[in-house]
Amino acid sequence: MEPKIVLSNVKKAFKNKTAVDTISFSIHKGEVVAILGANGAGKTTTMMMMLGLLEPTSGTVQLFGKHPKEKYVRERIGAMLQEVSVIDALKVREVIQLFRSYYTHPLSFEELVDFTGFSKDELQKRANKLSGGQKRRLGFALALAGDPEVLFFDEPTVGLDVTSRKIFWDTVRELKQRGKTVLFTTHYLQEADDVAERVILFHEGKIISDGTPKEIKTKLTKQSISFTSDSTIGVEELKEIPLVTGVFQKNERTHVITEHTDEVLGALFARNLPIRNIEIERGRLEDAFEQLVDKREVV
Amino acid sequence: MDGITMQCKMEILRILRNPYYLFWSLFMPIVFYVVFTRIFNSSIEDDQVWQAHYLMSMTAFSVMGSAIMTLGIRLVEERTQGWSMFMRITPLSDQAYFFAKMVAQTLIHLFSIVIIFLAGALINGVSLTAFEWLMCAVWILFGSLPFLAIGTLVGTMKRVDTASGVSNMIYMVLALVGGMWMPLEIMPDFVQTIGKWLPSYHFGHGPWQIVRGGTPEWSSYLFLVGYLLLFMVISGYIRRKQEAAV
Repeated sequence: MEPKIVLSNVKKAFKNKTAVDTISFSIHKGEVVAILGANGAGKTTTMMMMLGLLEPTSGTVQLFGKHPKEKYVRERIGAMLQEVSVIDALKVREVIQLFRSYYTHPLSFEELVDFTGFSKDELQKRANKLSGGQKRRLGFALALAGDPEVLFFDEPTVGLDVTSRKIFWDTVRELKQRGKTVLFTTHYLQEADDVAERVILFHEGKIISDGTPKEIKTKLTKQSISFTSDSTIGVEELKEIPLVTGVFQKNERTHVITEHTDEVLGALFARNLPIRNIEIERGRLEDAFEQLVDKREVV
Repeated sequence: MDGITMQCKMEILRILRNPYYLFWSLFMPIVFYVVFTRIFNSSIEDDQVWQAHYLMSMTAFSVMGSAIMTLGIRLVEERTQGWSMFMRITPLSDQAYFFAKMVAQTLIHLFSIVIIFLAGALINGVSLTAFEWLMCAVWILFGSLPFLAIGTLVGTMKRVDTASGVSNMIYMVLALVGGMWMPLEIMPDFVQTIGKWLPSYHFGHGPWQIVRGGTPEWSSYLFLVGYLLLFMVISGYIRRKQEAAV
């Protein structure tokens, strides 16, 4: 089936900085995709280009096989941008009705209100008088107003408390059940892991990884066998063991990095090396994520 | 209800809920009208003509104000708060949005005209023929176009503070030097010379002629159309430049 979103060799340069550097990916119907990366990694810029709010310097962005600015596309997408802006002087109820009127096949008013969880009183409030969290909920309803096929959320949970976050992600799962395609940016690895079935990892404008959270995790986290030793064992000798990918010393312990701990343990014993206090460590994902980001920054 | 109609309706609601509109475009012109026709009477001709003349001045003053200020400041607000960007994701096109705003603004102007004309009729018993009332209303309605163009020009400014400061100043200068607060004839010569080149003078001059049983002069048409084109070109140019900068 035709992918819903296709980016090919997209580059975006601002005056003195390349924000997005030659990226390509495509997204299919029903996928829930997280765009993960530190601040300034190019996530928002990429999303703005997908929404047709920024033009790429080179390369192409296509939604439903068309330019993002086309009416056909706008009828079928919804978005919640990072900066929540609310029209002034209108009541919540009026803003929702206004947005419904833009689309050919909008969701019903009642259904949208259900998504926000607003009470009757809250619907009568002026939209710009809502609290930050309430504005976010209104923004969510507006994104859904046209019953879109593809939804974009830019850092949707920033500034939300734990309960609101949970409600938000539960709703996203419900949208997935309905066959919607959802794309969201985040700089929390945990969120990407919990909700998305695919993670596109951004760093300094480039995609450094694209796969399931599990794949990303295996790629990012390294397992290692560590031990102490009375006599010194040559690093070279350890490196020669099959399946070992690296060796380093830390706090008087020797660490042997490998994805196959069982086999390497066997090899260590078979060689009868003078090792004690053996531990197997599985790197924490958050650490690995930071490590990866740091490492790239050094390079 | 389709998008444009709904947008129109909402824009009208937004203007009517705006306290600045109510104060500057309805309350103040009527207060000025009472002050300058009932309390201080600086009339240089007979009372009835002056009362009709000043009613037209104040109606034009009101409409000019909402065209420049209400529209201009709101455009800046919508852009700085990211609302205009958000609108670009929806199927409602920029043109439709702008069109809805203009229609809403025009209907609001019509509303202001009716209210202030009524106030004039009630306060001073200003009586014109039905044709004269109608002609004055039509003139003020269409004559507001160059001021709407000034409004969109104000709307290209970056900050709300600048926009409201600048538009306030333009508004006051245009009103004063254009002879809306007091007749141009009693002002110093150099002010009169400048005034006759301003769109506000010609905006008022049309109905001033009509209430005296005359017809607007050709020069007034030319000035208003000329200024409309000028401001449209400038604001279109600035808009394109701003879009290219993104």
